[in-house]
Amino acid sequence: MIINSRSKEGVVIFDIEGEIRRSDITDITLHQLVKDQLDKGQRNILLNFESVDFIDSFGVGEILASYISTHNLGGSMKMAKISPKLYMVFQVTMLTKVLEIFNEEDLAIKSFVKE
Amino acid sequence: MAKTRLYRFLSTFCDLKPGEERITFLLFFYFFLITAPYSIIKSLRNANYLDSRGPEDLPLAYFLTAVLMGFIVTFHTKSQEAFPRRTLIISSLLFFTATSLLFGLVLPMEKSVLPLVNWIWANVYIVVLVTQFWIVVNDIFNPREAKRLIGFFGSGGILGGIIGGEITALLARSRFADSLLVIVAGMLTVCIFVVYLVLSPQRKTRMRGISKSSAKKTPPNLKDVGFKDCFNTVRGSPYLKILAGIVTLTLIVSTLIDFQFNSIIKTAVTGGKELTVFFGHFNAGLMIAAFFLQLLMTSNVIKRFGIRFTLLFYPLILLICSFGIFFAPVLFMAVLIKGSDKSLSYSINQSVRELLYIPIPPEVKYKAKIFIDMFLNRFAKGIGALILMLILFLQLDIKFISLVSAGVILVWLIFNWRVAREYVGTINRQVELKWERADHILRDQVDVDATKLIFDTLASKNQSSELYAMHVFDLINQDKLTPEVKKLISYKQDEFLAASLGGLFEQGETGLIPSGVEPWDEDELTKEIKKIMSMDIYQQFMEDYVDNVLSGGITDAETQKMEVAKAIGMMPVQSPLAQKLPELLEDQSPDVLKYAISSAAHLKSREHIPALIKQLSHPQTREDASAALRQYGSRIIGTLADYLADPDESISIKKAIPPILAGFASQETVDFLIMELHVDQQEIEMELVDALEQIRAENPNLNFAPDQIRNKILQDILHCYNLLLKTSSSPRGVQKPDASEAFHGQSQLLTNLFKLLSLIYPHQDMMKAYQNLRTGTKDSVAYALEMLDNSLKKEMRNYIFPLIEDISNQERLKRIRFLMRSPAFFGNDR
Repeated sequence: MIINSRSKEGVVIFDIEGEIRRSDITDITLHQLVKDQLDKGQRNILLNFESVDFIDSFGVGEILASYISTHNLGGSMKMAKISPKLYMVFQVTMLTKVLEIFNEEDLAIKSFVKE
Repeated sequence: MAKTRLYRFLSTFCDLKPGEERITFLLFFYFFLITAPYSIIKSLRNANYLDSRGPEDLPLAYFLTAVLMGFIVTFHTKSQEAFPRRTLIISSLLFFTATSLLFGLVLPMEKSVLPLVNWIWANVYIVVLVTQFWIVVNDIFNPREAKRLIGFFGSGGILGGIIGGEITALLARSRFADSLLVIVAGMLTVCIFVVYLVLSPQRKTRMRGISKSSAKKTPPNLKDVGFKDCFNTVRGSPYLKILAGIVTLTLIVSTLIDFQFNSIIKTAVTGGKELTVFFGHFNAGLMIAAFFLQLLMTSNVIKRFGIRFTLLFYPLILLICSFGIFFAPVLFMAVLIKGSDKSLSYSINQSVRELLYIPIPPEVKYKAKIFIDMFLNRFAKGIGALILMLILFLQLDIKFISLVSAGVILVWLIFNWRVAREYVGTINRQVELKWERADHILRDQVDVDATKLIFDTLASKNQSSELYAMHVFDLINQDKLTPEVKKLISYKQDEFLAASLGGLFEQGETGLIPSGVEPWDEDELTKEIKKIMSMDIYQQFMEDYVDNVLSGGITDAETQKMEVAKAIGMMPVQSPLAQKLPELLEDQSPDVLKYAISSAAHLKSREHIPALIKQLSHPQTREDASAALRQYGSRIIGTLADYLADPDESISIKKAIPPILAGFASQETVDFLIMELHVDQQEIEMELVDALEQIRAENPNLNFAPDQIRNKILQDILHCYNLLLKTSSSPRGVQKPDASEAFHGQSQLLTNLFKLLSLIYPHQDMMKAYQNLRTGTKDSVAYALEMLDNSLKKEMRNYIFPLIEDISNQERLKRIRFLMRSPAFFGNDR
């Protein structure tokens, strides 16, 4: 898994490529990267799943841990461009009740601005 | 913001922030231009009335004023709803301007009825215009701003009283005596322009009285708005009822004192003009006292003693003076009691009373104000008048009034004490919780364990049919194999994995199930599988295979190990195959570890605990290991505490333990965590504090060792102070970092501080305060500070406020340096 970060209109965007699975993780996890940004004072986090093929339960745990850390500091974490199949899984597991998921990155960024 | 000359001048009198000077000055002038004319009007009113009708007719004046006020309230309330604020106030000013000119013409002509009408008119004047002034103040300022500035702009009113009184005294004996009411009209005309300036720019940016929600409301039917509406508004709120009670009692006492004063003066000073001069000088003198009280003391007293004790000050002074009159009803005591009454009433008491209104929601506040400040203000005088009438009827001595006053004052003291408590509650209700803990939201809305299981089930489809089947079995066992989940994980006919257990429930989708075969009952299946796996023969049968897998003697060993690790979780804990789990818990593969950890959670054997704790140090397995350890229940607390206390244990393991302990909200856990908090372990302090705060939220009735937590808070505050002082000093030539930015960048320090505070103060109040300080609007920050100001003990408040108040860097560092020198900081609390 490769994670790159960039900023756009006050939102930190993590572009995730590959599979989020425990066997692919080194010492730096997605949650740690998010926490680093939170420590720098960033509060708007967007996870871009356009290039994500697969997530296991570890990946789900990372996403939820990142959400918890962001929210508990008064920030917002959202997701964009997840595949239809993955979206269906998120729906069945009711994660869509809590996580905001957008089709397009620009829509997601606009939603931060509106807040 | 650039500091203007006006700002520099005004900031010598009050704690002004840049940008506030214009509005503060305008309000000062506005109040001045209401009270200066009133001082003239009142002197003329008193002199005319006493000269033509005598003090024995005063109760009639009080009574009629009280009755008329009911109609004034109705009229004003309807007007307030029908017209914009500016229109209403300017119209009122125009009315009083015109009528003052009229009285100037007709008052000398008639000495029987007109003085009574004039008396009533004067009372309506002061009640309406002063209430309108304070409504504008409520529109503009939040409680913190009002507390800082009320001393200054309030003194404008008092200065007006002084100037008005002196003008009266100077002109009363001269040929310009008849022009006094013309001067009143002139001042009120200028006031109109000042009001225009106050309300025009403020309306757009600062008006807090009209919220977005109320602006969208349907305008009320004017028939429904009126006296009854205002009365019901007050009656419906315990806080407003107490306020109304205080105002009533204050004015009853004031009325009694007024009668005593006027009675004694009438005998001591003879003649109409002499009385006018006396009242002119007296009013000016008492206003001077009130002015200095207001300007120099009011804000400082409120800041130092808080609202609760400031409220007691005024009635206690009057209680002493009432006994003074009882023992010595002479001119000196009359001047003293009336002087105390009015000077304190105009200064400290008025200011504190207005502060009590500010946190009330606007839709309730303005109706309450009109009812209390207009109607009750005079009605209470009417009650006082009735009491006086009774005393006069019974021909009781003037001293007896002092005893009645003393009795009323005692009740008044009780009401003041109660209102201070209700004030804190009212402030607290204005501070909203901005966000809930995300872990609570997730817990309430998402079944995280089931979610992870579904993801694992899907992932296992590509790994092994056995793994997939075991996951489906878990879903069945946990009652999570809903129709939606079945659809999600179902296979297509041509996929070879269709021979899995899941196929038994997916009729028509696998192609490998003969048609007509009945599906298995889920409960029956679960029982059968568990029975099979606990059989001795099964254990013996599978042992060689498992040993082969563990030794790595087959291809695709990793997948086989995952299968074995998962299967062990379904076996009895003492079964021979279950004894192989420790080896799997040492495996290098994170995927194998995940299943081994999950099985350990099912088996809950003490033997596996050290291996699970070891996995807390790895990011890939930390969450799974934490979840597994939680499954052990509260018996794991002692073991985890031991690891936490071990100085040789790795930091990554220690960091992972407090969140696990937070799941056990017991006194035992709290005691362990607090004990660790006092060991110097800065690397895990954040986790310890967070865990304690979580437990506090779940179970606030546990004992959180307040003394120890207080010490910890003081230590952390000292750490913050040192940090700020350090960032404020840097070598020559190096740009100094801004101290407040450096501090606020250390958001974790502030977060920790408030979490610690939430352990010894009401949890939700501290969280609300913290959230609003971090992310709130200017007003919500002000309310949060006001809440803390009234909730925290004085010592704690003094130490914390320099860290959170919106003050200049210079001021912050100055206060910090002062506090750090204080011996109390390093005293018994440490």
